[in-house]
This record gives sequence, C-alpha cells and structure tokens, in this order.
Amino acid sequence: MDFRWQVVWNALPQMVDGAQLTAQITLLGIGGGLVIGTLCGLITAFRVPVLHWLVFAYVSVVRGTPIVVQAMFIYFALPMALDIALSGFVAASLCLAMNAGAYITEIVRGAVQSIDKGLTDAGLALGMSYPQVLASVVGPLAFRRTIPPLGNQFIISLKDSALFLVIGVAELAQRGEQLTAQTGRALEIWTAVAVFYLIMTFSLAMVMRLIERRMRIL
Amino acid sequence: MSLIECRNLSKHFGDTRVLSDIELDVETGEVVVIVGPSGSGKSTLLRCLNALEPLSGGTLTVGGKQLGARGTSKRELRQETGMVFQQFNLFPHMTARENVMLGPRKVRRQSRRAAGELADRLMERVGLADRSHHYPSELSGGQQQRVAIARALAVNPRVMLFDEPTSALDPELRGEVLQVMKSLAAEGMTMLIVTHEMRFAADVASRLIFMDEGRILHDGDPRTLFEQPPSERFQDFLRHVQS
Ligand SMILES: Nc1ncnc2c1ncn2[C@@H]1O[C@H](COP(=O)(O)OP(=O)(O)OP(=O)(O)O)[C@@H](O)[C@H]1O
Ligand SMILES: [Mg+2]
Repeated sequence: MDFRWQVVWNALPQMVDGAQLTAQITLLGIGGGLVIGTLCGLITAFRVPVLHWLVFAYVSVVRGTPIVVQAMFIYFALPMALDIALSGFVAASLCLAMNAGAYITEIVRGAVQSIDKGLTDAGLALGMSYPQVLASVVGPLAFRRTIPPLGNQFIISLKDSALFLVIGVAELAQRGEQLTAQTGRALEIWTAVAVFYLIMTFSLAMVMRLIERRMRIL
Repeated sequence: MSLIECRNLSKHFGDTRVLSDIELDVETGEVVVIVGPSGSGKSTLLRCLNALEPLSGGTLTVGGKQLGARGTSKRELRQETGMVFQQFNLFPHMTARENVMLGPRKVRRQSRRAAGELADRLMERVGLADRSHHYPSELSGGQQQRVAIARALAVNPRVMLFDEPTSALDPELRGEVLQVMKSLAAEGMTMLIVTHEMRFAADVASRLIFMDEGRILHDGDPRTLFEQPPSERFQDFLRHVQS
C-alpha cells in the first residue's frame, strides 16, 4: 500500500484548525484545572472544615467515572437539568478543567503534605506567623514538587481532549474522523493526526522540562 | 522574675501523659543541660517552651510574657526563644545566608540590607563566612547545624533551646557544633540543651536536669549529680549512656 502525501497536504489546513482548537481547549482546561486544583488541594491539605469533605466528594466522582461519561454529562445532561445551552467548546473546556482539577487537587495536596513538618516548626520557632511560613517556606517548596506531576497531568489532559469528538467538538481527533470519512484514507489521516498530537505533547513536555531545570526541585 | 518560669506544666497526647508537674525556673545566663532516657519527654518540654506544642495544663512565662495571657501571642513568645533541631531543618530552597536572613526580614521587619549584614556577622561567628552562598544540600551536617544556630540567633532570642543538636551527626562532626555552643555559653547566652554528650554537659552546664517519665527527677549542679548520682534511675541512665 502506498502513502499518499497529497492527502495529508490537502487535509493540512483543517488539521491545523483542529490542532488549534485542541490547544485552546487544553489550555483552558489546564488553566481552569490549575485554579480548581490549587484551591481544592489547599483545602484538603489543611483540612478546612466541611469544605474538605466536599472536595473529597468531587475528587471521588471525577476519579471514579470515565471522562467520556463526564463529557456526556456536562454536554447533554447538565444543560437539560439546568435549562441552559452549552456550546461544545465550552462544555469541553469545562469538562477538562473539572477533570484536570480533580487530579491536580491530589497533586497539590500531596506536594504540600510531603513538605517536612520540621521546616514548618523551624519557621514558627523563628517567630514567623503561620501564613508567613506558608508563603516563604512550605509554598515555594511544595510548588517545586508539583512541577513534574503537573507536566504529566498536562499531557494526559491534552490527549484526553481527543475524546471530545463524542460531543462533536471540531478538535484534532474529530477532524481526523471527518477527514477519514471524506477521503477514505485512514492511513494518511491518522498518521498525520498522531504526528500532530506528538508535536504538541512533546512541546509541552519540553516546556515543563525547562521549568524543572530552571527550578531546583527539593 | 526568672527568664523562664514553668508552673505545674503538663502535657499529654490523648491518653499518654508526656509531661507532669513541671516546675522550672531558668535565670538569664544559665546553661541548663537536660538528660534522660528516650521517651522521657525532653523534646516535648523544649517544644512546649517554644509554644510549638500547646500545653495541656499549667502556665509558662518567657521573658515576662505569659503564654495564653491576654495580649500575648505564641508568636511573641517564640520570638524570645531560638530553637535548634536535631535534624537541622534548614530551608532547602535558600542559601545559608538566606536561611539566616529570613527571621530578621519577616519577624524583625529588617531591610534586606540590614538582614544581610546581620547574616554575614552570624555566619562569621559560626565560622562559615565562606559558605554563605551554599545551599544546605551542599553543606556537611556539622556545617548545616552551625547555620541553623546562626539562623536561630538572628532573631536575637533571649534563650536558645537545643534538641540533641549533635545526635544526627557523625562523631567527627560533633566537635565543631559543640565548639560553637561552648562559645555561646561563654558569651553569656542562656541555653537549654538536650543532649547525650555527657562530657560536654559536665564541661559547660551550669545546671543539670534529669528527666524520667515526664517528670524532672533531679535538678542541680552537674558535678555533684555526676559524682554522686542521687537515685538508682540516674545511676542506671549514666551507666547506659557511658557504655
Ligand atoms: N505528637 C505526638 N503524639 C503522640 N505522642 C507523642 C508525640 N510526641 C511525642 N510523643 C510521645 O511522648 C513521649 C515523649 O517524647 P519525647 O520526644 O518528648 O521524648 P524524648 O525524651 O525527647 O526522647 P528521645 O530521647 O528519644 O528524643 C514519647 O512516649 C512519645 O511517644
Ligand atoms: Mg527527643
């Protein structure tokens, strides 16, 4: 069987469009996930009364259900329940943010809890206030420790965005499906799609590696 | 009024009594060495004195500030005491100098420059002027502990608490830390030191406390106590640490 470069060439504009959408959804997803995860992670790490139970429930639900089900729920069930309309793009970004948020919650909690209590004691013993100790000691150290697992999570989120083809969002994977139907050339199209994903995940990994190297992880 | 006053101080974790009826007065300039078997409550006592552990009962006054009294925060009490830990607990993301600067900056609200100058003086004092810009991971255990001493001194405490400062060190690195502590004692710093270094205790202590099962069993002149151990418990203990 021959590989028709022409098919790839013709499909390129649409794939670039799809990749852009994938990038946008991923950025919104991990951005939102970072906000949610940092907040919820701190809530669980410091066992904020009542709230940490809510966070526990949230994390359990997200971790305990497939992301496809979450996407279906947010796109089809939620608008019905709340009587609102969600575009596929918004639903996808929201879903990814909620999903990544739960995993990032665990990453942040783990990082904060992994910081030696002796360091907090040392800060307090100097006469610093607890918020000062958090800001100068625990925070910076925990932040460094989140970088490697965050990088991992970002890549997972990027790849997870492919399943939003089930709710008809024209991201990269959905374009792949459409283009295959149009051209009948699965080989060329899916090879190209895979290469696109690889370029994106690889770039992300490189960025994280750079940050990691800039910052001494302790 | 004494610098430190404990009245009927007690501490328990759940059902475990860790400290009972602690009566302790420490005067300015005293060098008090605390010894006792493992689990006798030595660390807990120091942590209580520094308000790192809340008391279960009794009162504690440091430098005239009473813990729990109106208007006195734990923070104020801690500013009167410096603490040196067995595991050094240096902040690993800061250089030695930055470690020493943090207290003055955050607690005494000193400018970066003033804190830096103070840190330089203290690093000199513990003999590490040339290691200022090293990170803790780049220092030996003995050097780390000396930085930790400088860090505790930087907030200008009225009393220094040492919890087994040399126990985590290889024997050949202990001397340099003990030397720094000796010079502090010679300068008149008030110190409470938990240690198993009996030679050091006999050398620099102005007062020896023997703790057993959460109580102060003996409290007196080190030479007298070492030469004529007043109880079987203390004799046993001495035999244990010397062998
Ligand atoms: N946070 C805690 N929770 C429960 N029990 C504790 C806690 N901290 C200390 N203890 C208990 O209190 C007792 C006294 O402990 P402490 O660390 O003060 O002893 P120590 O005299 O310093 O012993 P060592 O010489 O081994 O350091 C021990 O039985 C210990 O198990
Ligand atoms: Mg101890």
